Amino acid sequence: MNRAFLDELRRIAGDTHVLDDALELLTYECDALPHLRERPAAVALPGSAAEVQAIVRLCAREGIPFVARGHGTGLSGGALPVAGGLVIALSRLNRVLSVDIPNQRVVVEPGVTNLEITRQVAPFGFYYAPDPSSQQVCSIGGNVAENSGGAHCLKYGFTVHHVLGVDAVLPDGELVHIGGDLVDTPGPDLLGLLVGSEGTLAVVTRIVVRILRRPETVQTLLAAFDTIDAGGAVVSDLIAEGIVPAAVEMMDALAIRAAEAAVHPNFPPADTVLIVELDGPASEVTSLFDVVVATCRRHGATAIEVATSDEQRARIWRGRKAAFAAMGRVSPNYYVQDGVVPRTRLPEVLSRIRDLERRSGLRIGNVFHAGDGNLHPLICYDERVPGEADKAVEVAAEILSYCIEAGGSLTGEHGIGADKSQYMPTMFAAEDLALMQRVRAAFDPRGLCNPGKVFPTPRLCGEVPGPYRQHPIEAAGLADRM
Amino acid sequence: MTPSTPDEVAAALRRAADARQTIAIRGAGTKSDWGRDGARADAILDMRSLNRVLAHEAGDMTATLEAGAALADVNRALAPHRQWLPLDPPFAERATIGGVLATNDSGPLRHRYGTPRDLVIGVQLATTDGVLSKAGGRVVKNVAGYDLGKLVAGSFGSLAAIVSATFKLAPLPAASKTLRADIADAASLARAIGAVMNSALDPIAFEIVSRARAAGSRFGLLIRFASVAAAVDAQAAEAIATLQPYAAGVAALDGDAERSMWREHADAIWSGDGAIVRASWLPANIARVVEEVEAFEFVGRAAVGAGLVRITGSDDDQARVVERLRASAVVGNVVVARASAAVKRRVDVWGSHGDRQTLLESLKRAFDPTGVLNPGRGPI
Repeated sequence: MNRAFLDELRRIAGDTHVLDDALELLTYECDALPHLRERPAAVALPGSAAEVQAIVRLCAREGIPFVARGHGTGLSGGALPVAGGLVIALSRLNRVLSVDIPNQRVVVEPGVTNLEITRQVAPFGFYYAPDPSSQQVCSIGGNVAENSGGAHCLKYGFTVHHVLGVDAVLPDGELVHIGGDLVDTPGPDLLGLLVGSEGTLAVVTRIVVRILRRPETVQTLLAAFDTIDAGGAVVSDLIAEGIVPAAVEMMDALAIRAAEAAVHPNFPPADTVLIVELDGPASEVTSLFDVVVATCRRHGATAIEVATSDEQRARIWRGRKAAFAAMGRVSPNYYVQDGVVPRTRLPEVLSRIRDLERRSGLRIGNVFHAGDGNLHPLICYDERVPGEADKAVEVAAEILSYCIEAGGSLTGEHGIGADKSQYMPTMFAAEDLALMQRVRAAFDPRGLCNPGKVFPTPRLCGEVPGPYRQHPIEAAGLADRM
Repeated sequence: MTPSTPDEVAAALRRAADARQTIAIRGAGTKSDWGRDGARADAILDMRSLNRVLAHEAGDMTATLEAGAALADVNRALAPHRQWLPLDPPFAERATIGGVLATNDSGPLRHRYGTPRDLVIGVQLATTDGVLSKAGGRVVKNVAGYDLGKLVAGSFGSLAAIVSATFKLAPLPAASKTLRADIADAASLARAIGAVMNSALDPIAFEIVSRARAAGSRFGLLIRFASVAAAVDAQAAEAIATLQPYAAGVAALDGDAERSMWREHADAIWSGDGAIVRASWLPANIARVVEEVEAFEFVGRAAVGAGLVRITGSDDDQARVVERLRASAVVGNVVVARASAAVKRRVDVWGSHGDRQTLLESLKRAFDPTGVLNPGRGPI
């Protein structure tokens, strides 16, 4: 990256909003998947959509690859910089542009956090539905890139179901309006394509989301079981009863122990805990919640705790949402994976994971969205033991292969990113990937927009595949994982 | 061309494309008069022989369906398992899965369940190079790769042939009840809609009916609750209380009366003459929207802000109304669905793609480089 390019960047974004000092670049070397790391040539922090557009146009003119970044909480290396390229950090685009309660729409810039939208509309009795565990810190722009889900997507869907429109800067610097305040833009669903495209098609500068009325009633219970199969049988019966809970989460013994050590949610010591949440009109929730309790009893729940207050509900969810970070309490290192199986195949896949645990000698905690079959195996290892880190990677790959064999997916919500692009050929045929690549080329014929993500490419040298490592700013003691 | 396997679909597309024949993909033909009145296609790819339910995983609430299967047949097959694909587009009895997805068409149930793009989780496509490819998968939660199932929603057969698609299903509700409120004026209509949207009511459908020509109240609101029986009754009682201040009368319907009312509602606007136009608006602007379309029959999803207007009058009059709606500050995304050839000559049925035009053209070339799919008729 030459001097003239940096000068021009500074003219666009302002001197203080272009970083090229090695120390300043450290923060941007990786996202929340710190084992993949690359130093960008520079980072630009534009303050407006017009600046984003000018920067992308400049990159296009000079042939410089660029990577858009929100708040860096992604778990698949989707915001991994490109060597010699530019990171466009959108953290300064953090304004809430409009709150329209009567029409149930909020317009935000991409750097606004997920939870901020709910904060803005909560006084009016509304909320923004997608709730990834990182919602306090993750950006809505990142949510759009990844099509983020959360614990409540079984009933409420993903980001793609809650975004009505975006302004997007295409890789050639053209700004296009996709969707908007109004529904039903004629023609192919560009918005549905763009949401979840992991930053490979455009840089989004303005987002219209819809908000939902807070449900009248929320009922949450925690049930303990002696076997994971018993918990799974409860979920099957609920589905067979035609009940679509707002959330159905399961945690196994190791995950329970870790959560207990970290945030003390007062979970019963059990092989499995199941969290079921129903929400909606009081009349509906009350009547269906009785069915949930009876179903848990019928399958031999050893303990049932029904949350009777918001604090109790928050405590239960704290235990669940802290489960990833809590693994640090029971293992020196851990690796979070994200895979999906058809819900009905969960028992079989979990038993294969148990066998793998025995065979590999690595402990594997399991936290999953049981309603939609989204697994988050937490693979424990000790990087001081030679070979264990590599073994953890192999174990993760093997779990993903179980997901694919069961007819599932490589990722339910964390994205393919740079982390899993090499596995894409296990899920998609060459023809499938070729058509997707044609779509990519229609947006970005020169491959400048977040290259090296989603699609398989040979590993770059210097990239170390592998599990959790401390983020450089964590290592420096500047931040903690939540 | 009447292929009966995916490979035959792909081969037929390739043969036609190699011969530079233009191709229209067709299911039951319920919407074959939509789109621009372009040149007749050289070849029709009739998908009706691919009409099977390839998989129904009741425990996972998913189904994989061939494009030529009729939506109504699919739902008859799912019903014994107390599940459904909750879509109720116009012509639902005959419309096929492929056609409904390609047009992203929907009906009153959109209020709760969205449009086909919200329910599709995977798709198999045939492109004009004779290749079959897939995107998405068979699980409800999946973010691997590009979501081409959504991209083809609304493409009207101008990118690829949909061979089969996998959808997320919903449980069939145990009980249902619909309220019909008669409302005299636009201001009361707007207030009634605002009151429902700002309440704890959780209907599965919420429709506006404009009865410009009918006797009695000018507007109707239809609000349908479906859940367990106790919840349906409680919600209906609450809704009556919510609507009462704005309504001249509220009637409750269930059973056969409810079913036949919804059937009539689905067909009514299509049975009259004139042009049928899709339009969108911000829900809170409804009073100004109904003023804009005052002279015409109008149905809409009250809380979504989308609906249909049936425009009558001479061809010139109809075309002028379309232009006027396009120029209106309160209505957008005005698309002519059904209209006479004369009207379609006077206005572009799709309207402008604005700053998306170049991008859409690139996408069209990526899928259909020789431009043989639905040329001159589809949105791109």
